[in-house]
Amino acid sequence: MSKAAESRAEEPAVAASVALERLIRSPAALVENLPIGIYTCDRDGMLAQYNRCAAELWGSTPVLGVAESRYGAVVRTLDMNGNPLAPEDLPMAEVIRTARPVRDRELVVERTSGQRLTLLANADPLFDEQGKLSGGVGCIRDIGKLKTMQRRVGEARHVGRYVMEALPIALYTTNAEGKLLFFNKAAAKLWGRRPELGSAYWCGSHKILLANGTPVAHDQCLMAVALREKRALVGPEAIAERPDGTRVPFLPHPTPVFDSEGEMIGGVNMLIDLSEQKRASAQQRSLIDELNHRVKNTLATIQSLAAQTLRVSRDAGDRDFESRLLALSRVHDQLTHRNWEWADFALIANDTLMERSGAADARVCLDGPTVPLNARTALAVAMVLHELAANAERHGALSTAEGRVTLSWNVRSNRLFVDWREEGGPPVTAPTRLGFGARLLERSIAQELGGTPRLEFAPGGVHCTMEIPLPEE
Amino acid sequence: MSQDSSKRLLEGHSVLVVEDEAIISFLLEDMLAELGAAQVRHAASVAAAIALLDERMPDLAVLDVNLGGERVYPVAERLETAGAAFIFTTGYGRSGLEPRWQTRTVIQKPFNIEGLTRALQSALTGR
Repeated sequence: MSKAAESRAEEPAVAASVALERLIRSPAALVENLPIGIYTCDRDGMLAQYNRCAAELWGSTPVLGVAESRYGAVVRTLDMNGNPLAPEDLPMAEVIRTARPVRDRELVVERTSGQRLTLLANADPLFDEQGKLSGGVGCIRDIGKLKTMQRRVGEARHVGRYVMEALPIALYTTNAEGKLLFFNKAAAKLWGRRPELGSAYWCGSHKILLANGTPVAHDQCLMAVALREKRALVGPEAIAERPDGTRVPFLPHPTPVFDSEGEMIGGVNMLIDLSEQKRASAQQRSLIDELNHRVKNTLATIQSLAAQTLRVSRDAGDRDFESRLLALSRVHDQLTHRNWEWADFALIANDTLMERSGAADARVCLDGPTVPLNARTALAVAMVLHELAANAERHGALSTAEGRVTLSWNVRSNRLFVDWREEGGPPVTAPTRLGFGARLLERSIAQELGGTPRLEFAPGGVHCTMEIPLPEE
Repeated sequence: MSQDSSKRLLEGHSVLVVEDEAIISFLLEDMLAELGAAQVRHAASVAAAIALLDERMPDLAVLDVNLGGERVYPVAERLETAGAAFIFTTGYGRSGLEPRWQTRTVIQKPFNIEGLTRALQSALTGR
C-alpha cells in the first residue's frame, strides 16, 4: 500500500474510534445492558467505567480510578496454562502501552469464591479528537461453555478417528480440494505406503490403474470425479500399484461430505480390497476348469470305447451316438462358461443348428431373445433341439438344399415358448414307430420339466412347439 | 465335404499324436487313419514326444494340452521352430491355453471326425 493510501485508511479508523468512545462514555442503557462485559480505562490505565455484565464476570464491583483496579485487574487472572498474570500483562495494559488492539486473548479469572471462569478478552485503544491516545476499551466474554463444547467436539472427533483407524476397510478423507487429511491403517496396508499428509492429493496410492491396466492420473481417479461432481460414486473396479510393484484390485466408494449448510467440506473414500474375492473366484474357476477337463476326457473316452467296442465303421447307429455325445458336450460348455449356473437358450440354439457343421447354415433362421436357462432345463432343451436337428438332417427340411428351418422363441409370464417349423423338405409321413427324439421330447419336456410339447408331422414339414416353465431364481 | 476329399487330406503325411489317455489315442489314431495318414506315431508324455521329434519331424502333430498334469508346450515350441503344423486338443477349450498359444488351432474334446478334419485343414493351410 502506498503512503497516501495508508493515511487515507487511517482517518476513518480514528473517526470510528472517536464515535466508539462517545458511545461508551454516554450513559446509554445499551452498553450497561449488553450481555458482554465492557470496561474502559483512561490513558494511565485507571479503570474509568464498566457495565453490569463485567461486574458479574469478575464477581466484584471494583472502585474506579484506583491502583488496585488498574488495567481492569479486578480479580486474580491466569493464562491458559495456569500461570498468574501481573496487571502489566493484561490486554488493557498492552493496548495502552502500544496503542494497538489485542484480539481474542483467552484468560482465566479466579473469583474470590475460588470459582474460575474462562474469558475471551479483546481490547481496543481509544483516541481523542486530536488523535491522541485517551485510553482503552476492554471487552470480556465467558467462553466456558464454548470451551466445553470444543472439548466435546474434540473428543467426538478423537472417537471418530479411533473408529476409522480400527476399521478393517481402507478409508481416507480429504478436504474439498482433495488434499489428504487422514488415512487409516488398512489404507496404508492396501497402498503399501504412508502418503505424506499435506502434499498428497486425491488418493494415497503410489499408482492407480484401470482394471484393464491403463494408468490413471491421481486427479482423474474416482475420488477426484466424486469431489468435482459433488456426488457419491461406486466403482468400477480399479488397481492400486504399490511402490514394490505388487498390485491390489479394489472397489472405490468415494463420497463427498457436506456441512449443515450444504457446502461441500471434503470427502471420504472407502476402498474395498478385492484380492481375496479374486483369489476365491480364481480358485472356483480352476476347479470348474479341472472338472470340465475331466468330464470332457471322460466323454471322449466313452466315445472311443463305443467306437472300439462296436467296431461298426461309421454306420448310422455309430454316428447318432457320437452326435448325441457331442451335443451333450456342447451344452456342457455353455454351462461351464457360466459356472454351471445358467446357459443362454439363444446360444444353445445357435450351437445346435449353426455350429454343427462349423459354419452358418443359410437354411436355418433363428429368432428370439437371450433366455437364461438353469442347468437342468438347458441340458434337456439342448438334447431335444439336437434330436430335432438330426431328424431334419436325415429325413426333413435339412436333407435338401431348398429346405428351411425356422426356430423362434420368446418368454411370456415366466414361460419359454419355442416354435420349430420345417418347410420345403421332402413330403413328411408320420413315423410308424416312436423314435428316440419323440420319446425324449415327451419324457424330458413334459415329465422332467413340467412343460407342454407338441409334435406334428404335417405334410409340408415337421412342426414342433414347446412351452416350458422357467423357475424363478 | 465329400468323403473322398477328406480321405485325401492326410495322404502321405506323417502324424504325431501326443495324448496321455490310451483309449482316447485309439480314437484319434482311427480317425487319422481314416483321413489317409501314412504313418501315425504316438507319445504319452513330453519326454517321449521330444524323443520322437529328435528321431524325425512329423508333417503334422495333434497335441493334448494336459498330459497328466504336465503341459505339452515344450513339444509345441519344437514343432513351431521346425515349422511343422500342429493342433491342440483340450478339455478346457481355448481359455485353457496359455496366452502365447491362443491364436493356434484348438479343438475341444470330445470331437468327431468332421471337427478334427476342419481343425487339421486350418492348421495345414493357416501357416
